[in-house]
Amino acid sequence: MAGRVFIFMVALLISHAGVSPVLAADPRTMTFPPVEFHPPAAERVVLENGMVLYLLDDHELPLVRLHAMIRTGSVYEPADKIGLAGLTGMGMRSGGSPSILGDALDEELEFMAAEMSSLIGQDAGFASLDVLKKDFDRGLALFADMLMHPAFPQDKLDLAKLQAFEGIRRRNDNPAGIAGRQFAIRVYGADHPLARESTVETIGRITRDDLIAFHSAYYHPNAVILSVSGDFKKREMIEKIRRAFANWPPGKQDLPPLPPIDDALKPSVHLIEKDISQTHLRIGHLGIRQDDPDYFAVTLLDDILGNGGFRSRLFKEVRTRQGLAYSVGSIFTVGNLERGLFIVYGETKAPSTHQAISAIEREINRIRTEPITEEDLRLAKESFLNSFVFSFSNSAQIANRQASLEYYGLPPDYLERFRDRVVGVTREEIRAVAQKHLRPEALIILAVGRPDRFDQPLSSFGSVNVIPLEPFREPAGTSPSR
Amino acid sequence: MPVLSAENPAGAPSVKHSEVGLAERVVEHRLSNGLQLLMVERHQTPVVSCIIAYKVGGVNEQPGMTGVAHLYEHLAFKGTQTIGTKDYRREVAVLRQMDQAWSDLRKERDKGPDADPDKLTAYEKRFRDLERESETYVVPNEVGEIYERNGAVGLNATTGKDLTRYVVSLPANRLELWAAIESDRMAHAVLREFYKEKNVVLEERRLRYENSPSGRLYEAFLSAAFSAHPYGMPVIGWTSDLEALSRAQTETFFRTYYGPGNAVIAIMGDIDPRATIRLMERYFGAIPMQPPPPAVVTIEPDQAGERRAEVEFEAEPSVLIGYHRPALDHPDDAVFDVIDSLLSGGRSSRLYKTLVKEKQRAVNVSTSTGVPGARYPNLFMIQATPRFPHTPNELETAIYAELDRLKTEPVQPRELQKGLNNLDADRIRSLDSNSGLASHLSYFQAVAGTWRYLPENRERIARVKAEDVSRVARQYFVKSNRVVATLVKKGKD
Repeated sequence: MAGRVFIFMVALLISHAGVSPVLAADPRTMTFPPVEFHPPAAERVVLENGMVLYLLDDHELPLVRLHAMIRTGSVYEPADKIGLAGLTGMGMRSGGSPSILGDALDEELEFMAAEMSSLIGQDAGFASLDVLKKDFDRGLALFADMLMHPAFPQDKLDLAKLQAFEGIRRRNDNPAGIAGRQFAIRVYGADHPLARESTVETIGRITRDDLIAFHSAYYHPNAVILSVSGDFKKREMIEKIRRAFANWPPGKQDLPPLPPIDDALKPSVHLIEKDISQTHLRIGHLGIRQDDPDYFAVTLLDDILGNGGFRSRLFKEVRTRQGLAYSVGSIFTVGNLERGLFIVYGETKAPSTHQAISAIEREINRIRTEPITEEDLRLAKESFLNSFVFSFSNSAQIANRQASLEYYGLPPDYLERFRDRVVGVTREEIRAVAQKHLRPEALIILAVGRPDRFDQPLSSFGSVNVIPLEPFREPAGTSPSR
Repeated sequence: MPVLSAENPAGAPSVKHSEVGLAERVVEHRLSNGLQLLMVERHQTPVVSCIIAYKVGGVNEQPGMTGVAHLYEHLAFKGTQTIGTKDYRREVAVLRQMDQAWSDLRKERDKGPDADPDKLTAYEKRFRDLERESETYVVPNEVGEIYERNGAVGLNATTGKDLTRYVVSLPANRLELWAAIESDRMAHAVLREFYKEKNVVLEERRLRYENSPSGRLYEAFLSAAFSAHPYGMPVIGWTSDLEALSRAQTETFFRTYYGPGNAVIAIMGDIDPRATIRLMERYFGAIPMQPPPPAVVTIEPDQAGERRAEVEFEAEPSVLIGYHRPALDHPDDAVFDVIDSLLSGGRSSRLYKTLVKEKQRAVNVSTSTGVPGARYPNLFMIQATPRFPHTPNELETAIYAELDRLKTEPVQPRELQKGLNNLDADRIRSLDSNSGLASHLSYFQAVAGTWRYLPENRERIARVKAEDVSRVARQYFVKSNRVVATLVKKGKD
């Protein structure tokens, strides 16, 4: 069959001179055996002071990588000092330690082409070092110093606060940022630790003593899971790390539970006006926790609906068939401490805003009401299983994941269980989790753009709550006249 | 091929790859039709990264047809005479009628107020009906679907000024699938769903440029910098050009630039180079050689005086500063690499130290060399974001003072050594990623003419002396050679 088609084409495309090659094989029908691969695993070691190590040696390149997760997070900062965790995490690196202050540290690290970082996110702290093998001993000393003895000099805090004010001033420059932050606020509430935002006031209140106190409350060796990968000998490495952190005593942590989230359905329509030619959309509601037994089936559901690249339904319908968006899709964010979010995102020109929202709504409804086909399910499973090998692309990825699973309280064989569960998921299960975890009657619809140019008013989806973008208020003590 | 075990009982590595330089690890092969193949073996994981790079991009476009290279890149995912269709013979007949209907509609619309409304309605209806009919033959997104079903990750393509790249990583035993799809795309691409995809690209334009403060500023900056050379035109295309582009024009562009002699393949991962060469010969070998595409003839004339542009937008200010510089093959290229690293390579670099840490006038500052491309004379660019109450103007002053320092104070050997240390470490780190290295190799093969540019340039950089830095700074960092574009907040004077 293929041969006839090609002969026909040669006649058609006269500008393409020469003999048309014959396909050696048809990629649509090619089959391959599954990839056989037994990935290496990192070794788990617990030090006397409680620090957990995951070590995986790999001698391909003369590099060593350290990656620490520290049990802390911005969810634990006080409500009147939002931004404290972030400033503490960054300050540990930028300020240096009493033995080497920040600027000298920058100079030394960069001269040896090492990369060292520290930050605190919503539900974890992170610290990392990526260094040439020949410089590892010095790198480890600097890394240990950063974790144990940050100096938090006043001048670096002052600078970081000025930078934070500028970040707040620029928050509404990009429509995607506005849409993402406002959607989380609509779901969790503006005061919940998973959605709240720093302000000029909360940053303004933060002092050097706050950074010192936050660091000493959370940074203990027994709160650290450190993964180590690269070119080293395991026994020697364990000894080096043991020595580097020998004088760090274990400590107690106070990790209060998060305030409960309000899980009532909140169907609503929100508009943020901005003078742009394209409407940014976020549509969805509360999602699920990663330890929810439905999580595996929901992952496949999400893949078929909008998270599966070229083959997902939202991509095919909204982008390919209707030409309404460049980027469109769905995601169930990973819910670690609490339930995550279910979000459909997309951007479309203002005059097709209503059309795009309607198309998205239809797809959410369709996957709940019409059973998915065997072909849909087969594609989703094959894509997942055949790409599984990429979860083990390098030793750092393997060791870091083992550390992360322990940090979030998931079993060590989580990934293998995940794979086995995916194999067994049925169409009925997909339909059941779609019914349970997609709630088209309770969508939160949020649009950023110019309503005067919409094809139909947003009110056709429900009464519209207009969210004003708050103008920036100068922090006390700054004079705009300079 | 044995897989290197990371759990070596003796604790000693079985192969000391780190001691083998890149130059010894790249295997080259050229097909008789001109197709260039580069391979690197790496057996850590049974995966492979594949890139096919075509030496074509925005620089090959003409006014009135801007965006055609990138639009074609999107259409390459629509399939071939085999992939993406239920019945190619019937489909192609409808596609041709559709082109005619679109052209009739377009001609009538172009009459503006003189257009006949009845004709417009009739043409529009005819076009829509044919478009719907053509859709009945389409298997949507089949290229992507085949790849994804086979475990592909990172399936994507990018169009730049100098080249267009198609990238994907696959389980290593799927390499033949890649060869089958990519050779078919090279020989038998079909531009289906053309008019819908234009709308997708227009949405991409709105997302990345029209409604993005940095995208808007960059577009205005390039327009100001180049008055003649196509480096001044946006790769994504002007809206009006995209709307006017026909399927025939786009197909002609494809026929001209997508021949095997204009392509570079880079494959890195768990492969056997000899078997890979056989495979590539089998799939790509029969594709006929093509005449070389036309050369870019326009040369940007010398700039006689500073150029300045301003963009008003609903966003806080920022500034782009550019200086014209020669192409990648010029002896001063390595000196610009050194200057790039001196000025913005890390927190201890000169601009970061002065503007962000000491004077505290900026929240960030960065430099790039080879903007927007490198094959032809281009720009050395400095990007900076002021911290209120400081203005872009104040940043300019501080930046120019740093550039003047380069002209007068000799750079210390330790600072040069730091740059070199980082270059060497980056090269080691780049070997850790199949897709990253494949991307580097294909880029330099396509743009510099050889992947050996990478090791050779390292030696050129090592030879750069303090006096080279000051000479280049004095020669290029002068006001008359400068372009400045500033983003200012809308509604402010």
